[in-house]
Amino acid sequence: MSTIFDFNGSKGSGWSQPEPALPNAIDSIPEQLRRRKLPAWPRASEPELVRHYTGLSQMNFGIDTGFYPLGSCTMKHNPRINEKIVQLPGIDRIHPLQDESQVQGLLAIYYEMQEMLGICSGMDSVTLQPVAGAQGEFTAIRCIQEYHKSNGDEERDKVIVPDSAHGTNPASASMCGYQIIEIPSGEDGRLDIEALQAAVGKDTAAMMITNPSTLGLFETQITEAARIVHEAGGQMYYDGANFNAIIGKTDPGRMGFDAVHYNLHKTFSQPHGGGGPGSGPIGVKNHLSSFLPTPIASRRDIKKDDPKGVGDGHWYFWKEVGEKSIGKIQQWNGNAGAVVRAWAFYRRYGRDLVKMSEHAVLNSNYLRHRIMNPDPEAAEKILCMPKEGAQSDLVMHEFTLSLSPVKDLNGVTGKDVAKRLLDYGYMSPTLYFPQIVPECLMIEPTETESKEVLDKFAADFHSVLSEDPEIVTTAPHSTPVKRVDEVWAARNLVLRHPIEEK
Amino acid sequence: MVDQIPNLGRESEMLEELGLSSISDLFSNIPEEVRRNNPLPLPPPQTEEEILEDARRILGANVDLDSRPSFLSAGLVRNFVPAMVPMMATRGEFLTSYTPYQPEVSQGMLQAMWEFQTMVSELVGLPVANVSMYDASTSAAEAITCAVRVKGRKATQPDMVYVSDLVPPHRMSVIENYTKGVGISIQKISHKSDGSLDLRDAERAKGSCAVYIEQPNSLGVLDSGILQIRQSIGEFTSLIVGVDVVSLGVIEPPGNWGADIVVGEGQPFGIGPTGGGPIYGIFACSSDYLRLMPGRIVGQSIDSAGKTAYTLTLSTREQHIRRHRATSNICSNETLIALMGAMHMAMLGPEGLEKLALRTLSSTQSTMSSILSIDGVELHNQNTDVFREFAVKLPGSASEALISMDKSGVLGGFDLGQWWESMSDTLLIGCDERTTDADINALTNALRDWVMEETS
Repeated sequence: MSTIFDFNGSKGSGWSQPEPALPNAIDSIPEQLRRRKLPAWPRASEPELVRHYTGLSQMNFGIDTGFYPLGSCTMKHNPRINEKIVQLPGIDRIHPLQDESQVQGLLAIYYEMQEMLGICSGMDSVTLQPVAGAQGEFTAIRCIQEYHKSNGDEERDKVIVPDSAHGTNPASASMCGYQIIEIPSGEDGRLDIEALQAAVGKDTAAMMITNPSTLGLFETQITEAARIVHEAGGQMYYDGANFNAIIGKTDPGRMGFDAVHYNLHKTFSQPHGGGGPGSGPIGVKNHLSSFLPTPIASRRDIKKDDPKGVGDGHWYFWKEVGEKSIGKIQQWNGNAGAVVRAWAFYRRYGRDLVKMSEHAVLNSNYLRHRIMNPDPEAAEKILCMPKEGAQSDLVMHEFTLSLSPVKDLNGVTGKDVAKRLLDYGYMSPTLYFPQIVPECLMIEPTETESKEVLDKFAADFHSVLSEDPEIVTTAPHSTPVKRVDEVWAARNLVLRHPIEEK
Repeated sequence: MVDQIPNLGRESEMLEELGLSSISDLFSNIPEEVRRNNPLPLPPPQTEEEILEDARRILGANVDLDSRPSFLSAGLVRNFVPAMVPMMATRGEFLTSYTPYQPEVSQGMLQAMWEFQTMVSELVGLPVANVSMYDASTSAAEAITCAVRVKGRKATQPDMVYVSDLVPPHRMSVIENYTKGVGISIQKISHKSDGSLDLRDAERAKGSCAVYIEQPNSLGVLDSGILQIRQSIGEFTSLIVGVDVVSLGVIEPPGNWGADIVVGEGQPFGIGPTGGGPIYGIFACSSDYLRLMPGRIVGQSIDSAGKTAYTLTLSTREQHIRRHRATSNICSNETLIALMGAMHMAMLGPEGLEKLALRTLSSTQSTMSSILSIDGVELHNQNTDVFREFAVKLPGSASEALISMDKSGVLGGFDLGQWWESMSDTLLIGCDERTTDADINALTNALRDWVMEETS
């Protein structure tokens, strides 16, 4: 396919705009500051660009295109009403520095979301300022760092993470200056309590853990883990990546956590957008509240001479967190547009959010069962079955498979199977993560897939396992490009178009 | 709700196949002691119709910037985004895709981001750009930590960074959060009374890891002096420059006068101010920084048949591979907004960019001369080399002036007292390409009325 830089037609004035009122405005710029040569951007008309981007979109796979069982990413349907809502001028054309009297609506939605997230997680205070899951982790660890400091506990310089944790956990803690202690999982894939006991000490600042784990297993000894960490003087941090599994069934507050981040782009359907934007609010227990980034949305009863608010009897305002606050983590108040989308999503479920989690877990167990128990007719043709990544009768919202037996038999790797699934019209599952499962495929169907889709996926998965290994190892065959050479890219580093001026 | 969950009402059929009898069996691994046994104390579910009605009512209580003359900028822009941009970017194949880890079915977004990198690279005059940071502030903060990684070992002032004292406090606070834990110290570089950077003071930065300055600065001032900043800070120290991306249609890009890293707020290209997010930070650098920079990067490659293809590259810097040794924890970024930015930039074209910058320049100049015609109002630092914004000293409190102008239906700017206590009598007036003569008249009249009342 051609690139956008092939458009270099009209040398005219580019996109039509009204003329500047002052024809000699450029005179106000000192000569030595003036740009000598314009950037070599494309020169294209709207019809050309619309076709260009339509063409590109057709070479891109989204949830709208087909089943997207990407584990740990919660690729659920993105309701379109949410997109319509964020185009309203009351959010699209709002500036974060407007006086609170001009943003009563935004503040009301922030307040409602803070309350809702607090309720669902068992936390006392919530901030919506962090704009991604990783930034939420970083924010919470910064709060914990300042908390220890305020207790004169500055010698705590270590953060404990299980080896099955997302890479962002150790990376976020490391950006706060912490050393990382990684503890291995037990034989059943769950947290190893003895290893944790051995790891904690006077130097423990916090433990970061997700529950259910990335193996899709609920950590049954989580309260014991919390007791051990707290006894050592550390704080418990809950990575909310897998929050979709537990809403209304349990919450991090009950499990003994002190801080949690939420991924509005996972659990609350902010579209992933090819890698972002996200939104990563955090919630904390009271003892950490005064360290949160500032400000957070608050409200009081509306008074007689207040201007008109949103009509719910309250006046909303930004409340400064106070002098212990870590300050700002994003320049403004977070990804307000993502918060509004998540609000619209949440309103669809209300107190029935529990149904969302129930169906996420139902679909996950159902798909795992269908994959591991092929029909007799299909079973006959299968060359080799994968192993379950975790020895458990039940999983939560996701599960892992190890393709090791297949690789041992005929050299077909997890990556090969993942690539072959693309030919069948699926996004591949998460590949080679968690690293503790060899040849790992991690599958998360979410609640928005029908039984028929799951049945078909299981059947197609069996079909891949029945195919001539030669076909599988050279897959994909029917995608816009064939297997892409990642080594070539890293070796040659062509990171921009080598534009030749015409 | 049933319209969102396809298997509602089919639970028993599926459970039966699993050999289970109820949904609660699925959650039996959750220990009794942590189970929630009562419903969430939340309101009942709503329908799409009801949600839209509520959204219109609640968000309708906000005052949108287009509903009145607005001069509030201070880091975000009341722009005009071509209609094509949101329509194309929200095509489901883009909107609902994840990070392009499987390049064979993600060529569209990968190519679009490679094109984005190229356009950003061209805009700022540096060879390498990533696919976006969260916003201008995190982009600046991670540029600083990146520079410390690159320069730390050989610096005579290790872990030391110098930052312009006109970086607004909220951006400064983000920078402090990103640098505090890892032991980076920050010193401020002062400004002269005309709003230009004190180059003598900048000499203290020699041998440190990095200098971070902004052009235009937060008071809108374009500083010719900083073209010579290299002579003050020396060749070793990394120069990081924050930019107004639109200004680069008329201003020489920092990459051409010695910057090693350029950062800035991408929002003017692609999306409205959206209450402060999602927006996106641009991050571009010279190749010396490539292997230690944060964020995702797309590279060109080939497929197994030798055909041109695109893929994420240099991932060994990133958290999912390198874990605690990663160059950053950034994972989700602002790709979709960067895509909107790419579309907007491509739509403008080089001459369109220049014109956009000239329109902004023109309205800034017109607004400034109109405002300065008011007796008792003067430029904060007597410097007319400004882009988009300028600061004026008032004969009273800026916050009171704003309240008064608000009553006349004018959003008159930003009270700089909110950033710096000593500037509570200083108003920051922001203009954009859409500022009309009628807007300027409304602002001037509203401010004059207040000044006359204040001084009478």
